[in-house]
Amino acid sequence: MSAPATTNTPVVPPVIPGTGTNIIINPLQRGNLVLDCIRNVGKEFGDIIADYQVGRTTGVLFLSLKYHRLHPEYIHIRIEKLGHSYMLRILLILCDITEHRDAIRELTKVCIINNITVLVAFSFEEAGHYLSTLKQFEHKPPDMIKERVDKDYNAILRTALTSISKVNKTDVETLRTSFGSFANIAKATPDQLRNLPGFGQVKVKNIKNAFDKPVRNNA
Amino acid sequence: MSTLLPFHKAILERIHDPSTSDLLVLARGLGLRRIIGTLMKIYDSPQSLVLLVNATQEEESEIGEELGIMGCRKPGLRVVGYETGSKDRQELYKKGGLISVTSRILVVDMLQGDIPTHLITGILVMHSERVTPLVLEAFIVRLYREKNKSGFLKAFTDQPEHITSGLSPLKNIMKELQLRKVHIYPRFQEDIKKSLERRRADVVELSQALTEPMQEIHHAIIQCMSSTLSELKRSNTTLDLDDFNVDNAYFRSFDLVVRRQLDPVWHKVGPKTKQLVNDLGTLRRLLYYLLTYDPLQFHAYLETLIASNSTTASGGVKQHQSPWLLTDAANIIFQVAKRRCYIMTSGSKLHPPPVIDLADDEDVWAALDDVENAPTGTSKGRETDARPPWIPGYMEPVLEELPKWNLLAEVLQEAEEEIIRQESMKKSITAVNTGTNTVLVMASSTRTCSVLAEFLSSMDHDAPRGSKGRRMMLRKLRLYLWWKSKLAERKQDGKSHFALPDVVGRAGDGFDKLYGSGDNISEALKKKDREKAERAASRRRVRGGAPAAATAREGKQKAEDRESVMGEIQQEAQSFADFWESHSQGTSDMSLILEDDLTLLDFESGALENEFDTHYGLLVPEQTVLIRAYSDDTDDRMLAEIQPKFIVMFEPNMEFIRRIEVYKSAHPGLAVRVYHMVYGNSCEEHKYLAGIRKEKESFERLIKERGTMLLPLLEERREGAASSDAIIKTISTRIAGGRREINSQLSQVIVDMREFRSTIPSLLHASNILVIPATLTVGDYIITPEICVERKSLSDLRSSFNSGRLYTQCELMSVHYKTPVLLIEFEEDKAFTLDVVSDLTSYAKPIGKYPAKKKQCAPNDQDYTVMLQPKIALLVLSFPRVRIIWSSSPYATAEIFKDLKLNNPEPDPAKAIAIGADDDPEVGAGVNAAAEELLRCLPGISAKNVKHVMSRINTVRELCEMDIFQVQELLGMEPGRLCWEFMHRGEERATKR
Repeated sequence: MSAPATTNTPVVPPVIPGTGTNIIINPLQRGNLVLDCIRNVGKEFGDIIADYQVGRTTGVLFLSLKYHRLHPEYIHIRIEKLGHSYMLRILLILCDITEHRDAIRELTKVCIINNITVLVAFSFEEAGHYLSTLKQFEHKPPDMIKERVDKDYNAILRTALTSISKVNKTDVETLRTSFGSFANIAKATPDQLRNLPGFGQVKVKNIKNAFDKPVRNNA
Repeated sequence: MSTLLPFHKAILERIHDPSTSDLLVLARGLGLRRIIGTLMKIYDSPQSLVLLVNATQEEESEIGEELGIMGCRKPGLRVVGYETGSKDRQELYKKGGLISVTSRILVVDMLQGDIPTHLITGILVMHSERVTPLVLEAFIVRLYREKNKSGFLKAFTDQPEHITSGLSPLKNIMKELQLRKVHIYPRFQEDIKKSLERRRADVVELSQALTEPMQEIHHAIIQCMSSTLSELKRSNTTLDLDDFNVDNAYFRSFDLVVRRQLDPVWHKVGPKTKQLVNDLGTLRRLLYYLLTYDPLQFHAYLETLIASNSTTASGGVKQHQSPWLLTDAANIIFQVAKRRCYIMTSGSKLHPPPVIDLADDEDVWAALDDVENAPTGTSKGRETDARPPWIPGYMEPVLEELPKWNLLAEVLQEAEEEIIRQESMKKSITAVNTGTNTVLVMASSTRTCSVLAEFLSSMDHDAPRGSKGRRMMLRKLRLYLWWKSKLAERKQDGKSHFALPDVVGRAGDGFDKLYGSGDNISEALKKKDREKAERAASRRRVRGGAPAAATAREGKQKAEDRESVMGEIQQEAQSFADFWESHSQGTSDMSLILEDDLTLLDFESGALENEFDTHYGLLVPEQTVLIRAYSDDTDDRMLAEIQPKFIVMFEPNMEFIRRIEVYKSAHPGLAVRVYHMVYGNSCEEHKYLAGIRKEKESFERLIKERGTMLLPLLEERREGAASSDAIIKTISTRIAGGRREINSQLSQVIVDMREFRSTIPSLLHASNILVIPATLTVGDYIITPEICVERKSLSDLRSSFNSGRLYTQCELMSVHYKTPVLLIEFEEDKAFTLDVVSDLTSYAKPIGKYPAKKKQCAPNDQDYTVMLQPKIALLVLSFPRVRIIWSSSPYATAEIFKDLKLNNPEPDPAKAIAIGADDDPEVGAGVNAAAEELLRCLPGISAKNVKHVMSRINTVRELCEMDIFQVQELLGMEPGRLCWEFMHRGEERATKR
């Protein structure tokens, strides 16, 4: 059912892969449940080597582990066919079995040798979601995952303080309201900290370690 | 130092032999630390090198001190932390003696050969109940046994309850520690029984009933718990939830049990179940707080609870409210908790307070009646006390007190009388040392301790039962009110960060509308004021100073309407002073008691202790009342030092009872009387009894397991065998004739020092890969000269996506290595999935119209940035060369690494260290990881200049104390300003006000 290869109807002659705004789908994928989960982007069938072409230079192979268990040789053939085409080559694995460890290990190795990036999805929805985001983000600059500078005060304070282990968002709020500023928090004594609600010994120790211990030793 | 009891000696007799390795399981409270201390003293000599592993910092210092007392001083126990440089460490190891080492450092030193492993005389492992195949201690033992067969290994634990999960937990621990002998000493063991039951302490058990309102709340909480539990059962029918009953839910470990059961399906359970599991924790905490917090604090906590439950962090109205909040029982909790503090009347300000309608609710009003009538009955000077001017007219303070407070007061009274009685009798027999007259009060937390200290120091001795702490309660009430009004101001300014929910606002209740973050502040300030008040209260001359001090600071912060407030406050302070004046001029009887009152000391806070010395110098121990919190084995020494004649156990504690038994048996001449206080028919009593039962059961299980245990055969791990094994594995028959050259080098992986916090190095080593620790600038693991791996656990992944750190790391890896790899590691027993969001369709949508949609669906938008999948996709698109390894557990990771190493050349450590490190002048220096992380998050400090900053400053605190010019000098103009403004932002606002 999740098999990427279809057995039934003969393939309709593919359209010329074209406009660039659609995901181009290998006709082999017809019948794959993932197709229904690709939303918010255009889809068209086309004659390509990969299963899905989500960008000018990005090709995706799709593999369900269930299928892989039955036909372990299939993916190797596909990878071989892929040759050196595409800049970014992705193997989208649908993890739909419980004994996934060995299969994923083996596939990881194969992919690293063949310069393929592995993505693991855990449901058809997720797989479809990956495909559509890959297409949508084709020309998106990586700002979303880059270091950001313009964040508001509270957000920075929260990330800064929660970087200390055991400190959670509520604690940040407690610290902020009790001491006012970051500098004042740094100056707080262990006793003051210990008497805040929700602050145990370990947490206080961690906070004090971060602020008061030397940042590096003189070895 | 106190003498060892016969059973201590028997234990030592059995385990001291340095040629054997043992595991000792001792019941808590029987003096495990004493045994370890004695053992270490036996082993102490410059010729031997004995390591103490897995001790916490406190334990290290305590054991060190204990050794010092026993006369093992030069050099005694030395502690190796990350501050000790590697050269110093080598020196230290060479000199021998007793050394306590952090596990992480020891592993690295063993791997690097900084420590002569074959010369180690022995290792002592503390907390061995926590040893699993994944922890560093198991790794240490493996490394140790590889090179050293003759040294001993002694493991200790006093937490048998921990060794119960799994099929044969004891065996697993012994296997990991490579031990064959275990000694189990429960409290019911023959020797221990004999030693302890010869002399029994004089125990008075006091069972205190809860007050009516408390009972009501208690009952309601239990009701909420059981309804939450049944809800949980109903929504998770597939799970084995037999253990899910209210009895078990009293314990903290219950959360763990639930989580362990739900973890594999955690992604499937949905937000509702998660909420329920959280709620159980909250309810359990509530139960505990009910019995320990004063009513005002409890009420304030409930208010925060409501507020935080009805809003999300971003201020929107929360979708999934905890179901128990909507039950009738919860309503009872909130209503009664409020009634314990005050009652709102709709009457005008001029309405005289003492007229109270008793018909309404007998139980609660009776208490109120009691309180209200009290002041008028006792003295005329207390009129101000009955109705202080700062209480708004429509509010009737009830201020119920915890019944145990009064019980404590009575017990202290009794102890005092006893002391006087004995004093008069003792004159004849002076020779015998019967201990000091100190009264020791033990409570469960430092918070309770400080409340108790405050109560005792401001106690009103001739007030009737139930209102002795009225003065303290009023003070607390005022702070509470002040904060509420402060919150009101804040709200009007529009500066509140905590959006106030409409749900909780009640008409006609001026104060109750103002819930929010401020309750936390009040905690801190309360504490400060309390400290001041305490200090002042213990000095007779400045008695009136306490409220004055408090008001002074209040006045400062309320600069705007200072005049009116100050007037009011001063007037009030004056009235307090007047009141105390008249009070102390009372009968001579009274002043005598006050004198005693003065000696109340709170040793908990160090600051107070210092103050104490400067103000008083030495004090006759006769009259001191010490209030302390239960701690670990340190209590043993405290008992021996203080030698109290009276011990009040404010809350039940099994371990401490044993400590008293041990203390009593070790000091035969001393008389001890123990008052043991429990709230009858409460969760406290139940918890105490269940705790005892649980410990007994786990011991029985352990003994049974020891009887039937199949002793693990220890696998011999010879280095030669290991490598030949590896060779056999590398030559595959598929390679024609095995023509490939045999790799004589043991396969190796270079691991970043910081990664030793994770379990992978240990597992890599277990699978015969040589682990080389190094300080890497780029990547975490170097597998081959071309493959560099950055490991991220799921939470790491999320945070480093948010901070942008991952992007920088990938950038760096791509520059320096041919195959940069991101390893996404899931946890062993947890689900192998990313968070599944129920409706993915809606998240893929808004991308094109992102900005337009933003305002309409704020919560959606929030989730969108939280989701990992789009970010992973973007990362893959941005770095086409970065590969991703999806690993379901550390075990799988080790296997994959091994796979990747096949047929590949070995990495070169020197090269790996050099990569990317050229701009860092101090490669290899120990780094305070927490501080580094913190610095990175500050604005103006980026991955590029963090190293520079770290080399310039000593501590983060130092950075905070710099002025703006210094920071600008450090970071440059614009980033410096940003950073400085960030650090000092809250202050400016405070001073402007």
